[in-house]
Amino acid sequence: MTPAVVSLARKLGAFLRRDFLIAASYRFAVGLQLVEILFVATIAFFLARFLRQQGLEQVTPFAHDYFSFVILGLAFFDYLGTALGVFAHTLREGQLTGTLETLLVTQTRLETIVLGSSLYAFLATSLRVGVYLVTGVLLFGLPLAGADWGATLVLLALSIAAFSSLGILSACFILLFKKGNPFAWLLVSASGLLGGVFYPVSALPPWLQSVAQWLPITPCLEGVRRALLAGESLRELWPQAAMLLAFAGVGLPVTLLLFRWSVARAKRTGTLAQY
Amino acid sequence: MIPAIEVENLGKDFPRVRGGFDWLRLPWAGADKPVLRGVSFGVAPGEIFGLVGPNGAGKTTLLKILSTLLEPSAGRAALSGCDVVRQSAAARRQLGYCPGFDRAFYLRLSARENLRFYGALNNLPRRPLAERISSLLAALGLDGARDEPVRNFSTGMLQRLAVARALLHQPRVLILDEPTRSLDPTAAAWLRRHLREELAGRQGSTVLVATHNLTEAEEICHRLGVLDQGRLQAAGTAKEVCRQAGAASLAEAYARLTTPEKASEEARPR
Repeated sequence: MTPAVVSLARKLGAFLRRDFLIAASYRFAVGLQLVEILFVATIAFFLARFLRQQGLEQVTPFAHDYFSFVILGLAFFDYLGTALGVFAHTLREGQLTGTLETLLVTQTRLETIVLGSSLYAFLATSLRVGVYLVTGVLLFGLPLAGADWGATLVLLALSIAAFSSLGILSACFILLFKKGNPFAWLLVSASGLLGGVFYPVSALPPWLQSVAQWLPITPCLEGVRRALLAGESLRELWPQAAMLLAFAGVGLPVTLLLFRWSVARAKRTGTLAQY
Repeated sequence: MIPAIEVENLGKDFPRVRGGFDWLRLPWAGADKPVLRGVSFGVAPGEIFGLVGPNGAGKTTLLKILSTLLEPSAGRAALSGCDVVRQSAAARRQLGYCPGFDRAFYLRLSARENLRFYGALNNLPRRPLAERISSLLAALGLDGARDEPVRNFSTGMLQRLAVARALLHQPRVLILDEPTRSLDPTAAAWLRRHLREELAGRQGSTVLVATHNLTEAEEICHRLGVLDQGRLQAAGTAKEVCRQAGAASLAEAYARLTTPEKASEEARPR
């Protein structure tokens, strides 16, 4: 490994350690999150049982029942919420506590600071998703025996990259306007409404279905459900993977450039640390 | 010899802060507010240069430009020959910065964890970093509290920790914004001695320190600059500043060279 890679790994490790130690110091919040997951999974289970009794479970594509459909929707929707919140939240917290300026005077690139500050949040989300899946399998019979985990992980990585580009856009908003972040609100709402979290996209009117195709959550959830529940391979899921790759490939460079511009503007106007 | 700090004709304007209905009432009354105007000075390696001036004079703005946190509107500034705008990454490699805001830490982490984090971001290898942290915490009287969460620290302890963070990677240029503001007399005396004897004297580091304490400035700084309303009114040794102001003492020179702060002067981005 080159010294640059070692240095990058050490810095990312330092961010991870920092955020883990801070999170671990709030023990009650960690426990509460586990309880919350259990509640959500139980609600989904009873909702699914009700729909089965009404003979409606066949409306859920790639899933044996509504529970499998919705629990995966909720679990992976969590990544979008994390991506949209973590960059803006880290930035705002840095402005409020004064630590943003202390980070920016270190020998660490801005991109590394942004990436490093998001690592723990994504790791914690993965842990939550893991708890969702384990709870689903052990308590409610979520059928994951035939899942293609390789395809799931690739789709997940692409989804995180695509979602992160939207999260960085939110961070730009915080840098420029300080408070009130319409991107995060709009994207989470639109994705929850149109992305196939609670019901299939096919349940929407045709014109809304075409809008849904422009949201990265749509190919993410479709791909992940097909990989986990129908055991489809990456070869079968290439349209979803290609869509997510396109979102990430265009979104990340553009939003990182926009972020650099926002920081430079804040440095010119003297508003970098303002909140 | 390349100066450790070069400031040439530096200017900084901030957009005027307008609130509420001002945008409707006075949509074009938006001329920028000058905060620094034509500031020029140089600091040699191993020299301690003090910046004094009333609140709102532009000291913190100047320090932030040198720390690459703000971009100047005019002129240029460099640290050890590295332009703070065009070569900001190289400039930051020379720099240790202690901000005026003393709670800029991760308050739920310990002093050692905070310093370990910042050390990693400054590319310090693990073992030398651990040794450096131990020696700095001992020197600053924080050894007994090194594993305590920083949220339990007093203001003075936080200020000492901020100094430790700035010194962590042994920077060639150290920029300190009112470093002794919250320190008790013993800690303040230790810091002044450390700056003069150890950092500037033995290690040859350059120090730029902003302070309101004229006695302190006279005691530790080789040269001083008096900043008022964004302009450098006088610069030189304490005696030279007194001569330039036609005053018998530094306090008298300061009074002659500066204007009392106006409330409106404070309303600017920080």
